Amino acid sequence: MASLELIDVRKTYGSGHTEVVALDHATLTVGDDEIVALVGPSGSGKTTLLSIAGGLLSPTSGQVRVGGEDITRYTNRQRTRFRRRRVGFVFQQVNLVPFLTARENLLVMPRIAGRRDRAVLERADRLLAELGLTEQAHQLPATLSGGERQRVAIGRALMNEPALILVDEPTSALDTRLGEQVMQLIVDEVTSRHTAAVIVTHDPRMARFAHRRVEIVDGHLHAPAPA
Amino acid sequence: MSLALIELRRRPGRFAAMLAALGFLVVLLLLLGGLLDGLYRGSTGALRAQDADLLVLASQSRDSLLRSVVGPADRRRVAAVPGVRTVRGLGVALVGVTVPGRDEVADGAVLGYEGGVRGVPLPPRPGEAWVDRRLRADGVREGRRLLLGRGRVPVRVRGFVDDTSYLLQGGIWVRLGTWRRVLRQNRPDAALGPRTVQGLAVRVEPGVDPGRVAAAIRRAAGGRLEALTVAAAVDALPGVQAQNSTFRGIISVTLGIAGLVVGLFFALVTLERTVLYGVLKALGASSAQLAVGVATQAVAATLVAFLAGGLVSLGLVALTPADIPVELRADRAVVTFGGLVVAALVGSALSLRRVVRIEPASVIGGA
Amino acid sequence: MYLALREIRRSRGRFALGVGAVGLLVFLILFQQTLLTNLLGFFTGGLANQSGDVVVYAADARRTLAGSVVPAETVDAVAAVPGVARAGPLHEATFTVRPAGGRDLLDGVLFGYRLGGPGHPTTLREGRLPRRDGEGVASAVDADAGFGLGEVVTVEPAPGAEPVRIRIVGLGDDLRFSVQPTVFVSTATFAAARRATNPAAAGAPVLPSAVVVETAAAADPAVVARRVTARVAGVEALTRDEAVASAPGVAATRQSFGVILGLAFVVVGLVVGFFLVILTVQKAGALALLRAVGAPAGLLVRSLLTQAFVLAAAGAGIGVVLLTAAAARSSPAFPISVDGPAVAATCAVLVALALAASAVSVRRVLRIDPLQAALGPSVGGLA
Repeated sequence: MASLELIDVRKTYGSGHTEVVALDHATLTVGDDEIVALVGPSGSGKTTLLSIAGGLLSPTSGQVRVGGEDITRYTNRQRTRFRRRRVGFVFQQVNLVPFLTARENLLVMPRIAGRRDRAVLERADRLLAELGLTEQAHQLPATLSGGERQRVAIGRALMNEPALILVDEPTSALDTRLGEQVMQLIVDEVTSRHTAAVIVTHDPRMARFAHRRVEIVDGHLHAPAPA
Repeated sequence: MSLALIELRRRPGRFAAMLAALGFLVVLLLLLGGLLDGLYRGSTGALRAQDADLLVLASQSRDSLLRSVVGPADRRRVAAVPGVRTVRGLGVALVGVTVPGRDEVADGAVLGYEGGVRGVPLPPRPGEAWVDRRLRADGVREGRRLLLGRGRVPVRVRGFVDDTSYLLQGGIWVRLGTWRRVLRQNRPDAALGPRTVQGLAVRVEPGVDPGRVAAAIRRAAGGRLEALTVAAAVDALPGVQAQNSTFRGIISVTLGIAGLVVGLFFALVTLERTVLYGVLKALGASSAQLAVGVATQAVAATLVAFLAGGLVSLGLVALTPADIPVELRADRAVVTFGGLVVAALVGSALSLRRVVRIEPASVIGGA
Repeated sequence: MYLALREIRRSRGRFALGVGAVGLLVFLILFQQTLLTNLLGFFTGGLANQSGDVVVYAADARRTLAGSVVPAETVDAVAAVPGVARAGPLHEATFTVRPAGGRDLLDGVLFGYRLGGPGHPTTLREGRLPRRDGEGVASAVDADAGFGLGEVVTVEPAPGAEPVRIRIVGLGDDLRFSVQPTVFVSTATFAAARRATNPAAAGAPVLPSAVVVETAAAADPAVVARRVTARVAGVEALTRDEAVASAPGVAATRQSFGVILGLAFVVVGLVVGFFLVILTVQKAGALALLRAVGAPAGLLVRSLLTQAFVLAAAGAGIGVVLLTAAAARSSPAFPISVDGPAVAATCAVLVALALAASAVSVRRVLRIDPLQAALGPSVGGLA
């Protein structure tokens, strides 16, 4: 079964003369434990596609299925619930809650789902250990380095055992070496959990960490180029 | 115009909440101050107007003119004390004043005197009175007749005088004879003998220490008389001291709140502006310049809030019923503004530490 | 709770300033409210807690005891009005009084009434009512100031006159009048005090300030008061409550304090409201992020309301502590007693006001678009 299916998805903003097509008849299937790199220049529709796949936006037309669940016609409330249960996000910029420690940023996921049992504490500690953040667990984001913050965000994205992880420009604020480390970490974590992931990047060097590469230009998806 | 003031002008919305809170605090401060001034001045005017070094009262009255009785023998003793230059008799009767043509009876303080009152001409002819302007609100007009007290003693209004109220009742200044008549006809059990007064306003010879004269007066009267300065007599009026200290306490707490509101606002805004300040520092602005900017905004916001609050206060006072003794005064406004500016500067200084600590390098390399 | 309390813990300085400002405001409100209640009680207690249902003033007295003098025959005229069970004279005046134990002279109010007749104090806490001349019931709040049970207070006479001694045989609650220690005595004792302080008027009759009326069981005091005003010449009769409300300064004090308290309430709302708005604007990025990862808007709203509650409740706590301290330090001349239920009610209103004041922030939280988290750099934020 596919983790993500976008079928003929179209997203437009505005109407009439001012209509802007952000995503044009996009069709994409991401397999169960597949990692796809979505590559394209600024304004090509990468973030729109990611937002539709993650239930942040609803498409103008077409169909969206995540882990077999059709989210196309979901209401706001249903999409909120869906995001909480089924996807993990790593955003480009605002990734952590500034007044929560690294560990609390992970625990925020079960908390907003109303869970406060022991198991989630253990899971958070295990993830922090895997990500090499045990020492930084009780630090606030402002005292963490850029790489550490991205690792905390990855941990948060994995907390709710999502079917699909969506990552937006995870390395844009990092230097090449640190960027490669973070990409490797994402790939390792995602692969070991047999979870699917879509990673948006404009950096071709980062794209090679993915199993497959899809290009997007002006809202059109292009056939996979040879990796 | 400085950057700080441009921000205040271009983005007033950001300051709106603080301006509103400060504006209301200004109204609160001005009304409290106005009430304090109104109560104080309305209670003490007749005594403050005494052009005297000492006020002599019966010891038994506990410094209250209203309950004091000084007979002619004691008056002679006081006049004979070395250093005493003039002695003038004084008496007061709190009565209802009937203004012909009006249903309501007004409150009046009938003051018998022999001159020596600042702002009040020499005693008028029998059957005439100088009347405090406060009583105009009750329909009193120049040349009209008033009926004083239960005995309805008639007097004609010779003219108006200012700031001569006693215990919030408008002063009606008459000859001692007229005052005694009012007293006798108002309450027979309060009648005083001829030539008896309630207090003596004493002036001492130039260069003589009033304190020593006061002591001599006490000795001469064998302890039956107390001589005190006019200021002490004002403080001894019922409620005056308690009122002053209570209102001053409330006003200080309100100023403290204004300081905290300003402090809170700038603490929050500075946090939001960390990046902007970093950029400005990177462009070469010094910490001192930024600190001056913050202080400028605090003072400018205080000024705006003060003007707005002042207008609201003027409107509220105009709507206030006449029996609430609130009086807005320029000196009070100046003191209030000064207090607010100090509070605002102290409040804004709370966030200066943060401004100084911002690293210009922090803006390079982004978040 | 999770988010709200952690945020407070991590930004102590900001919340401390907020709580400090709210705390001082609450103190200001509670203090003025307490002052007002105490002041009004001290202004009018003696009048409010005497047994007359109706108080009959001279018509030109402007409804004040101090300004009222009624001729002796008025008492009988009032007694003849239908609905009046008993009528009697009531005298009131301020004297210079020496409390027991050689203390300093002070101002004291005497109420004179016909023993056994109307006008006796109704809030006796200890002792008994006076049975003969020279006995009195004092305001209990002044018991420690030389007005204690069994003690003798002296009305200070004019030079050459004999002092008038009053033995305190009872203490009553809320009996102060004109904010001064107050003693209820017989008409004869009152007259003696009057003559002692003004021997010049020794021969003149001491006239009552007012007539007090106990109405017949079935009669409505308001109706009786109107009837007395209509049938007896030169008087204005008021029910006890009306008389208390129109005592000098009561209405003016109530109104001035009312305006000031109203303004202080508005400022509390503004301070809490603007504190929360700025806080919300500043963490807009984090809020969008939380919405993006699946936090329902309701959760964030609850978190905001929790903070508003904590702010107001902690402020109220500070206000109550300061009020208690101020009351403990109040002077014996003006002892302030804290009315627990009234303070609790005001605090509840303030907390509700704080919650209402967070409405603007709540609207902002509800309008946060989770998509902002994905759109990146423009959002800013601290992470």
